[in-house]
Amino acid sequence: MAWLMQSVLDTIDVGAIVLDHCHEVVLWNRWMSQHSGVASNEALQRNFFDLFPDQRGRRLDGAIMQALDNNMPSLLSQTLNRWPLPLYTGKTEAEQGERMQQALTVTPINVEGEQRHCLIQVNDVSAAVQRESLLREQAMALRSQTLLDDLTGVANRRHFDIAIDREARRSRRTGSPLSLMMLDIDYFKAYNDRYGHQQGDACLEAVSAALATMQQRPADLFARYGGEEFAVILPDTPGETALQMARLMCRKVRDLHIPHEASQAPHKLITISIGVASTDSGHLREVYELINAADRALYQAKACGRDRVETIKP
Amino acid sequence: MIRLTELELDALVEVFNIGVGQAASAMSEIVNETVAMSVPSISFLPRAAAAKLLATKSTGSGRICGISQRYSGAFQTDAILMFPEEKSRQIVRLMVGESMPLEELSQMEQEAMSEIGNILLNSCVGALANIFERELNGSLPDYHVGYSEEMLSHSGDGASMVLMLHIEFVIERQQISGDVAFIMDMSALEDLKSHVNSYLARAMGGA
Repeated sequence: MAWLMQSVLDTIDVGAIVLDHCHEVVLWNRWMSQHSGVASNEALQRNFFDLFPDQRGRRLDGAIMQALDNNMPSLLSQTLNRWPLPLYTGKTEAEQGERMQQALTVTPINVEGEQRHCLIQVNDVSAAVQRESLLREQAMALRSQTLLDDLTGVANRRHFDIAIDREARRSRRTGSPLSLMMLDIDYFKAYNDRYGHQQGDACLEAVSAALATMQQRPADLFARYGGEEFAVILPDTPGETALQMARLMCRKVRDLHIPHEASQAPHKLITISIGVASTDSGHLREVYELINAADRALYQAKACGRDRVETIKP
Repeated sequence: MIRLTELELDALVEVFNIGVGQAASAMSEIVNETVAMSVPSISFLPRAAAAKLLATKSTGSGRICGISQRYSGAFQTDAILMFPEEKSRQIVRLMVGESMPLEELSQMEQEAMSEIGNILLNSCVGALANIFERELNGSLPDYHVGYSEEMLSHSGDGASMVLMLHIEFVIERQQISGDVAFIMDMSALEDLKSHVNSYLARAMGGA
């Protein structure tokens, strides 16, 4: 049976190394010879860490110790360890020094009457890694083509650009009013500095979730314009109605009572400022004029003390 | 029914804190970033109650991601490290630096989570084995996703008890909580209790 075991070990598509309790190599299968360039007669009886000195004191060392001393098995994933051993898929890769992507397991081997050994199994996961990196690129590409913002789930900038263009043209054509709000969160940079980006993101999510439900009609669009800035497109809405809505939105955010210790406002809560611009009779010439007017109104709201609504005629 | 006394539970909290401390330093080495871990509390409850408790902690999809290993020897248990599914992505992102923009963890990300679970569970169980002055045998980790009830029903029966460790991770100043469940039947529980008691007797005896 010993010859059978040997030929199985030399045939399987996995690297197999067995170490005794002194870290001496007692088994080194053909896969290991092929991919490491170290023949079994060169590896046997050698100390594992003389063969791979850069692994001394690293994660693999710890895993071997866990197996030999504590009888515990370990898994070394490719993601967290990349390429612990100098193994190469083929000759070309070896010449270029391009290591194989590896996943390792280290398991204790207990044999009656013997000191404990451990088995190191090495799997070549290069194909899986390559597949995943392709998948990642495609998922990213797909994500950028969608119209939703990653973080908040509301319409993204791309969606906004398409919608404002469409609504501006419709307004010019039909002579119907069109209102636009630009809004942002007050002292948001201070919030991020004080609470960290993770909580900053949570704040953006909370504010956008509260505001996104306030637009009643299907053509109204609430979008993340960028950073902490949002925009609302309100077709068929005169300026006065937009102003009323904007004031409600300011109150809605204040009523969320999100604490903001670094705010310069006395109540130390998250608030927003809103700039509103409207074309009341479809006399809009260019889209950017409307956006510019809403933007200037937003700056004016900031300058006048924040947590308020201002409007400027385009 | 067998219960653990306050003193026995305190001893276990101490032992598990030593265990997760070792796991944290192993993880810090891997990710080149300070990883801190602690076990602020443990509780001991019937399996159905444990499942209910986990369900109340879950968020979003309500699904839990679990990494389990089976141990035998001084006492027998299935150990499972669990996080709400969304948290598992956060952990991968913090440990690996990026994550796939997908709903579920990719195969490679699952393996990374398995390794994290493997390090943590081995350290916890290793710390136990150490004070028991006994050795345990362990399996390699398995990765599952499911609801809390399914997660805890992979082993044992309705009468099983669960020792639940609440674990706090701090990676890059962000805090993430998870739980480790040790599922035990009555005889495993008796073994655990008697090992804890002889440890306490040795400790108190000033030996």
